[in-house]
Amino acid sequence: MRCLTDVEVQAVVDGEASEAHRAHAEICEECRARVSERRSQMEEIASLLDADGMPTRVETRLRYAISEAAGQSGSTEMVRGSTVLRTKRPSSWRSLGVVSALATAAVVALFVYGVMPRLGAPMTLSASEVLSRSLQTITSGSGVEMLEYEVALDGMANSPVVIRQMIDRDNPNRYRVASYHADGTIASAISQDPLTQRRTQLFHVDGTNYIVRVNGIHSPVLSLPQMAQALVETSIGIMQAKSDQQLTVEDGPNGRRYIIDIPPVTPKNPAATLDIFGARAVISGTDFRIQEFEATGSLLKQPFSVSLKLRMQEYLGGTTPSFDIVPAPGDVVLEGEASDDPLSELMTTVLRELGRARGK
Amino acid sequence: MTTIAGSWMKAADAPLSATTTTVDPQAETLRLFEEHGTALFRFCRSVLRHSGDSEDVVQETFLKLLHHLRHDGDRRNLKSWLFTVAANACRDRTRWRLRWLPWNAERDDRTVDPIDPAGEVRLKPDTTERARTAFRALAPRDRLLLSLRAQGLSYKDIAVASGIREQSVGRLLARALDRWRKKCVA
Repeated sequence: MRCLTDVEVQAVVDGEASEAHRAHAEICEECRARVSERRSQMEEIASLLDADGMPTRVETRLRYAISEAAGQSGSTEMVRGSTVLRTKRPSSWRSLGVVSALATAAVVALFVYGVMPRLGAPMTLSASEVLSRSLQTITSGSGVEMLEYEVALDGMANSPVVIRQMIDRDNPNRYRVASYHADGTIASAISQDPLTQRRTQLFHVDGTNYIVRVNGIHSPVLSLPQMAQALVETSIGIMQAKSDQQLTVEDGPNGRRYIIDIPPVTPKNPAATLDIFGARAVISGTDFRIQEFEATGSLLKQPFSVSLKLRMQEYLGGTTPSFDIVPAPGDVVLEGEASDDPLSELMTTVLRELGRARGK
Repeated sequence: MTTIAGSWMKAADAPLSATTTTVDPQAETLRLFEEHGTALFRFCRSVLRHSGDSEDVVQETFLKLLHHLRHDGDRRNLKSWLFTVAANACRDRTRWRLRWLPWNAERDDRTVDPIDPAGEVRLKPDTTERARTAFRALAPRDRLLLSLRAQGLSYKDIAVASGIREQSVGRLLARALDRWRKKCVA
């Protein structure tokens, strides 16, 4: 018989070889050596993996999760122990109350599961409640908030990017937003501060930062963080209204997380403004803040897919930081005049500077 | 959501034995956790390379097992069932992770280089460390197959868990091992 191939040797090591191959590996010295070599390599890999011990908290988490699951499924197991309160046998008049309560529950259940779905109202109240708490978290808050998150957007160049945002929650027109590429270089930034009456925009072109700064802004226009927040709020609102929410509770090392999925669907006629076809939100059980958010849908009849992942969030105490974009050495700063339209003031400033450079 | 594919997992025509129907699903789940929990964690850890995610997947898998047992799912070869569900969950997590930026060592202040007791000289990776690094550098499918085999799964079970034809498992395992060996000596 010919010597074994590598695959056949592997099969011998794994105990999956045919009788003939096993017999050959016994008598052929060369094949036996190859089997031995492969076996020791497989054992080395197994020992590498064995070094990863399972933390004891996994069992604690699992036991807790199982007991939670038992509670949710309506387990009727009796709790044993001398300190457990014994249930009192209900008296006959109380049984009437039980019947009445059951009847009420049946009517409520009929309404929730029979009538409400036809009206398009949410069925899974717990998921809806979680989303509702999350909405409250987004809309409430006071002081200067720092946020850092990743955004992946279909069709966006160099996606995903990191966004660092600072916003004065008491004055939403006061903000600074900067986007960074994966390698940490700045891509663009915009800031607006009604207190200093200054609006600044930064563009990174061919390795140089160009900063366009306008002073004396009269009435602040457009708050980008507010617009982004409004979009997320609307999406969450739509998620709340969906009837097929799926809620998963996950207990991890960083506390509880709620994962709410809206299974993807293919709508025949999406809404004119904003429609969500599928979404997923991971919400912290501690503060109900959205940690991850992913949605596909249509915005103004155009398909979109967006993913957000929160990396950092904190409220700044003490002295109020500057919202200005401070130029670094080598940055080109262009000074311009304010107008009610940030785009036209940007273009005017740049073109005016271009004209000066050409001697006009 | 994790997909649990394969009709074999719940064979409607498979009669349950008298003993299996009387076992409490909760106790059975905990017993199987005692038996296979560590192996499953090691498998997830080697595939995901992240301890926190591995813990989540292990918990998720055993909760699915509890649900499976409560609904009189097929109890034949539950070890293979567990690894299949875990492999699917790992695949979902890996796919989900690809949406995000890669981990950047420069931005992670938790990174600590190996240093000697004097705190000055960096230690060279020893053979074990090199073997471990080589294993981590393998392609996800190679890591998956070698990890499943290292946890004692048969070719048939590996095929089900990894979604690969049973006839191909031996060949792919042999190649994965060769690639690991080459990376070790590189």
